[in-house]
Amino acid sequence: MTVEKRRQIESAVALSLSTFAAFLGLFWLIFILGDVLVHGVSAMKLSLFTEDPAPPGIAGGGLKNAFIGHVLITLCATMIGVPFGVLGGTFLAEYARGRRIARIISILSDIMVSVPSIVIGTFIYAVLVKPVGHFNGWAGAVALAIIMIPVVLRTTEDMLTLVPWTLREAAFALGAPYYKVIIQVVYRGASAGILTGILLSIARVSGETAPLLFTSFNNSFFSVNMNEPIASLTVTIFQYAMGPYDDWHAQAWAASLIIMIFILILTIIGRLIIKWRYGKR
Amino acid sequence: MKTSITALSILTLLCMVTSAFAADTVNGAGATFPYPVYSAWAYEYNKITGIRLNYQSIGSGGGQRQITDRTVDFGASDAPLKPEKLNKEKLLQFPAVIGGVVPVIQISKIKPGQLKLDSEAVCKIFLGEIKFWDDKKIKDMNTNLSLPHKEITVIHRSDGSGTTAIFTTYLSDTCAQWKERVGAGKAVKWPVGIGGKGNEGVANYVKRVKNSIGYVEFAYAKQNKLTYALLKNTAGTFVVPDIESFQAAAASGTFDPEKHFYLWLTNAPGKNAWPIAGATFILLAKEQKESNRNTVKFYDWAFKNGNKTAERLIYVPLPDSLKNLIREYWKKNDIY
Amino acid sequence: MAVLLKKNPIDILFLGITAIASLSVVLFIAGILYILFTESSESIGKFGILQFLFSLEWDPVQELFGAATSLFGTVVTTVISLMLAIPIAIGIAIFVTEISPNILKGPIGIAIELLAAIPSIIYGMWGLFTLAPIMSNYIEPALQKSIGKVPLVGMLFKGTPMGIDLLTASIILSIMIIPFTASIARDSFNLTPAVVKESAYALGATQWEVVKNIVLPYSKLGVFGGAVLSLGRALGETMAVAFVLGNNHQITSSLLDAAATITVTLANEFTEADTDIYLSSLFNLALILFVFSFIILATAKIFLLKAEKRYSR
Repeated sequence: MTVEKRRQIESAVALSLSTFAAFLGLFWLIFILGDVLVHGVSAMKLSLFTEDPAPPGIAGGGLKNAFIGHVLITLCATMIGVPFGVLGGTFLAEYARGRRIARIISILSDIMVSVPSIVIGTFIYAVLVKPVGHFNGWAGAVALAIIMIPVVLRTTEDMLTLVPWTLREAAFALGAPYYKVIIQVVYRGASAGILTGILLSIARVSGETAPLLFTSFNNSFFSVNMNEPIASLTVTIFQYAMGPYDDWHAQAWAASLIIMIFILILTIIGRLIIKWRYGKR
Repeated sequence: MKTSITALSILTLLCMVTSAFAADTVNGAGATFPYPVYSAWAYEYNKITGIRLNYQSIGSGGGQRQITDRTVDFGASDAPLKPEKLNKEKLLQFPAVIGGVVPVIQISKIKPGQLKLDSEAVCKIFLGEIKFWDDKKIKDMNTNLSLPHKEITVIHRSDGSGTTAIFTTYLSDTCAQWKERVGAGKAVKWPVGIGGKGNEGVANYVKRVKNSIGYVEFAYAKQNKLTYALLKNTAGTFVVPDIESFQAAAASGTFDPEKHFYLWLTNAPGKNAWPIAGATFILLAKEQKESNRNTVKFYDWAFKNGNKTAERLIYVPLPDSLKNLIREYWKKNDIY
Repeated sequence: MAVLLKKNPIDILFLGITAIASLSVVLFIAGILYILFTESSESIGKFGILQFLFSLEWDPVQELFGAATSLFGTVVTTVISLMLAIPIAIGIAIFVTEISPNILKGPIGIAIELLAAIPSIIYGMWGLFTLAPIMSNYIEPALQKSIGKVPLVGMLFKGTPMGIDLLTASIILSIMIIPFTASIARDSFNLTPAVVKESAYALGATQWEVVKNIVLPYSKLGVFGGAVLSLGRALGETMAVAFVLGNNHQITSSLLDAAATITVTLANEFTEADTDIYLSSLFNLALILFVFSFIILATAKIFLLKAEKRYSR
């Protein structure tokens, strides 16, 4: 065999292995999505959204409490996380731009993004559950917010940096103070990017389970009181999937399907915004 | 910008407002052993009174921990706390219902109630000394069954559990080797096996893993149609786990209010007594009078109206004399 | 920028607010460290830091605790999942950057990102209901019949194939981190200047030779950083492994045995620990996990920054 030939074959083999790897990745995605879809759709019922859970072992009931609880915890987390994240990112990109402190904080945020979420759960248990005297929805929301802040902060920082400096100078020339420039000019310029960051961070936290286990806990009844234990979809899935009842398993699949659709939609919207706003450059 | 600020303020308002909707809720957590019956009671109670009793089955260890930390209104545990410990942590304790722990298995072609085991066999299986289902020890007890030469997978609890406490107390009392190597407690150092979370998790794993053996409260075995085994009791008879044999075990003990009803029902004497029975207990924080009244109201209701539901799930309701003793205990502590 | 601030008090206020918001991240890190440390002080005091780290005990009856069994599970699942994930992730990155026709690039990129967005609890549940039976019925017996017969290596596949074990947990974990590693590898590959690649092609190099001799060496810092970052991710994953690991505190030579990771131990035992020393030891585990993953993530970040600096010129 000529050297030429051997090189060609080697290349073909390596490249087909890579192609195989790519399709393996796709295979898992289709396998998992398909499995959740098949099981989830067959378990989908109207009563899932309109009823609270029945006692274990008794067929029927729904997850109304968990749906509402989950939305509530996520909303409250967003309410805490977004202002902190956006304002924090603003500081890094505007007031502290180019300074050492900005670099350090942005590196620390990147690390915080990947810190084990269960550790944040234990931390919140120690500061917001034990002293308060009971599990509560707020603790869950704060735990999720802590996961959210670094995500929003970093995207905000990046997006603000993308806004051309000349735009600010134009506004300064008109005599506007810096805060006005930021709010009226810079934020406007970066709004699509920041929104994407927020959407993606919501997608990230709405699938979290571990930080809720020891904070918002669970509640088998419908409750919107954030000072009490509150049900969430993910913790319910954990309980139901681990449990022995077929009915629970079906409901866990259905809940997974709904969470997954929600997260995938958020992720896709986020990507579309980026493409629409920044794709052309 | 303006719209996003408005959106944010509305959100904030929403979150604040929701906190004002404080409906009547009693929060409890603990043992998974009585979870089916408590939540069935709570479901009926909620329909009648509108009061919500939120019971989360996290394990008896959790029940004790959370009531000690006062993060719940009441805790539940199948392992009774000793009177000294109760006094130290300023807790009250009373039994709520009696049930039985049963060994559950999954071997192909073997049906519920066919396999017979004695405490020595169970002990050796859980120690990892009996490795196969066709071990001579098991075969000799079950000459009529054809047991496969398959390796046994032991399934135990991964969380702090009163079911485990009852089960390991039974093993420690009957099997010297167990007492020496492992001991009894809510969570022990298991020599072999895989751990499931809660009675739910053990039942789930036994359902999914072939040639496995685990132990669960009987309601879980019944609701999930698991294959349970017969056990040899101290009187030497192989007994069927059912309401009669649990009742026979329950009848053997006397609950003493002076000791906060501290009592184990394992290895009860009596020809037909199920050897791994136990009462499950409610723990209250002494100083939380207000919430204790709500909890007690619920259990008082359950004592009066819940017997049918309990029996349907194969729990043994407490005898009336004991219920009255408990009511006196409540009165004495000013919560009834 | 200080010049601009002089005149306006609102500006100073705004600066203050934003500064506090960004410092919150630092505060959280410091707060977590401080709280975990104080909460675990009882356990540290009783067992000592090093002894706790290396003690095999996890015995709630005797109230003796150590991190070694949980660390074992964490390390084994993480290492195996990385071994499975990294080659596949690099393959995907090569496919996307070098091979795939342009029409496929977008969809595959999206697919990978979606795979990364699926919540870990769904991976875990899917693992228990779908993957575990496949493992115990087909894959694990097949492994035992083939590799299991080889001396030494065979040790890894001893025992009953029950599907709830280290191997299944590692596979699920690897599926979870593939998209993550792949997207970082892809970004690093994309940093290779087109000019260099084109010159290699001009010299008659095959596609694989370009990848092997130009792209990979060029982006190795980035790929390595990405791998370490995935390691950090895998270390802290809870739900994907909680369902299928079997929660047993033991050190075992077989991948078909149950084990426990730090995260799974916390998820199972945290709300149920009854004694103070038990809870304190769990906080101690959380502290160890936090410190380790922090160090690993920081290392990854340093590599990624270096890579960025080197090639962004």
